[in-house]
Amino acid sequence: MASLRTKSSFLKFYSWLPILILFISVLNEFDFNYLNIKYFSFNFPFILIFFFTLKDFKNFDYFLVFIAGLFNDTVVGLPLGISSLSYILICIAAAYIRNITIRPNPVKDWFYFLFIISLINSFNYSILTLFFSLELNLMNYLVNTFFTFLFYIMFVTIFKYYMKVLDD
Amino acid sequence: MVSGRDDFIIAIRSAFLKKSTKQKFSLLTLAFISIFVISLSVLDFKIIRYTKVGINEIVYRSSFIVSIPENFIKNAFFQISDYTTFFNDYQKKKIELAELKSNYVSNEIIEYENIELKELINDYASSSNKLLAKIIVDHDSPFLKSIIINKGSKDNIKIGTNIYDRSYLVGRVIEVNYKTSRVLLLSDLNSNVPVTIAPQNIQAIVTGTGNEYGQIKYIKSGLAEDLMQDSIVYTSGTGAIFKSGIPIGKIQSFDQSVTNEYNVEFYSDFSQLKYVFAEIRNKTEITKTEKSDEDKSDQVKNPVNAKLEILENELKIIEETNQKFQEENENLKSKVYELNLKFTDMNDQILSQKRIIDQSNVDIDELKFLKLNLDHGHKCRKSFFNSRGFEVGSDEYKNCVLSKGGLDG
Repeated sequence: MASLRTKSSFLKFYSWLPILILFISVLNEFDFNYLNIKYFSFNFPFILIFFFTLKDFKNFDYFLVFIAGLFNDTVVGLPLGISSLSYILICIAAAYIRNITIRPNPVKDWFYFLFIISLINSFNYSILTLFFSLELNLMNYLVNTFFTFLFYIMFVTIFKYYMKVLDD
Repeated sequence: MVSGRDDFIIAIRSAFLKKSTKQKFSLLTLAFISIFVISLSVLDFKIIRYTKVGINEIVYRSSFIVSIPENFIKNAFFQISDYTTFFNDYQKKKIELAELKSNYVSNEIIEYENIELKELINDYASSSNKLLAKIIVDHDSPFLKSIIINKGSKDNIKIGTNIYDRSYLVGRVIEVNYKTSRVLLLSDLNSNVPVTIAPQNIQAIVTGTGNEYGQIKYIKSGLAEDLMQDSIVYTSGTGAIFKSGIPIGKIQSFDQSVTNEYNVEFYSDFSQLKYVFAEIRNKTEITKTEKSDEDKSDQVKNPVNAKLEILENELKIIEETNQKFQEENENLKSKVYELNLKFTDMNDQILSQKRIIDQSNVDIDELKFLKLNLDHGHKCRKSFFNSRGFEVGSDEYKNCVLSKGGLDG
């Protein structure tokens, strides 16, 4: 009986893992920046949010995604709401593609993801430079978009494995 | 075509408005809330500011706790890489230490001189209090280069407070919470620091590049040619944002032929910071301690009165000096008069002495004549037997006697 309760609580924890990882990543900026590779950076939350929204994961609460965005803004030092809006726009885009797709194709999703993150990063860059007069390096955004796109496949494989374990 | 558009609208509506059983808000609501929050950030209301401070406090602490494992890995990585270059670094540091020791003495002298000069011009003395602060969040984001320190308004940190790594400038505070603050690093694209480049004494502005080096900008054309490799860059204090004379870095990657860009290698490695110093500055007027009178101290504070007082003092000193000169002059005059008197006396004495000497000379000639007269007077005297002789007492006779009886004179 006790082991059953333990298993149940572990399963609960396991099913909330994506949100937990999202919060850890925004608080910790999980992006290997300390490796000091010039321009190297990628946006892990974008991959995670896009994938789990696309899969319509049951414990992936959009409100928590919104809160995670606020946390990210606080940690990075961006004006409040910028990351939240970006994350929600990713959710909208992913929900849209989920609704229009009959036969899912990972490669199509991958390139759609590239299109979405490029659009959102451009949107971010425009808001920050136009409304908040911040000086930003466009190259950083381009490289960040590129690496996020590259790492997408790798993380999707891991996430798929996670979901498979959960289904089992 | 119509059905395609309908599908599109349905998909859009579904994406925006449809809520799953687990979702509390639709995506459209959340998007609107995000836009609303951004608008509030732009407007910067007081209540929003306080809410933000509260969120910041919680998030920074949470971020610090969450970052512990990553920081552990990061530190381990740096320690390993440090060990590999340990010996070379040690040799380099040894030489640097020797140079620094010699510089330290001259710096101390300059510091004392500076304080003395400020006292002379009756300026304010800036007493600074350096507060040790721990870096609780340092994610080295590629977009914004900033760090979070564990000191805030509670510890008198203000917006603009200068932050140091040892004695090198690291950045300045741009956001203050109750117990935490955000520091904008010099490497950030939004960082601009007015600097002086030594030894050429060129004024310029160093801006961040988003990388680990800065860039010299806004330098007067023509002066850039004077820049050299390893020229020292320190704050000029222009604009009063940063204190003057704080070392920042040195000019590096100097390749004038390729480009007119001059990079500044920061002395401090921003990715390796663990603790920093926040400088709490207190400006205090320098007053003269001897003056106990309240009015006098007020006068000293007023720069015009202080200048007048200095001039009065100067005048007083000049008058005193004049008086002394006059007294000395009078003394000298009396001495001159006395000496003149003495001189006249001496002259009189000399004259009388001369007269005596002359008299004595006459006596000597007379004596000589008498002696010769005794011997040769008969040869010169006119007589019966000596018709060629002269009358006694005449000049010819005298001459004859003096020439020992020579009658030819």
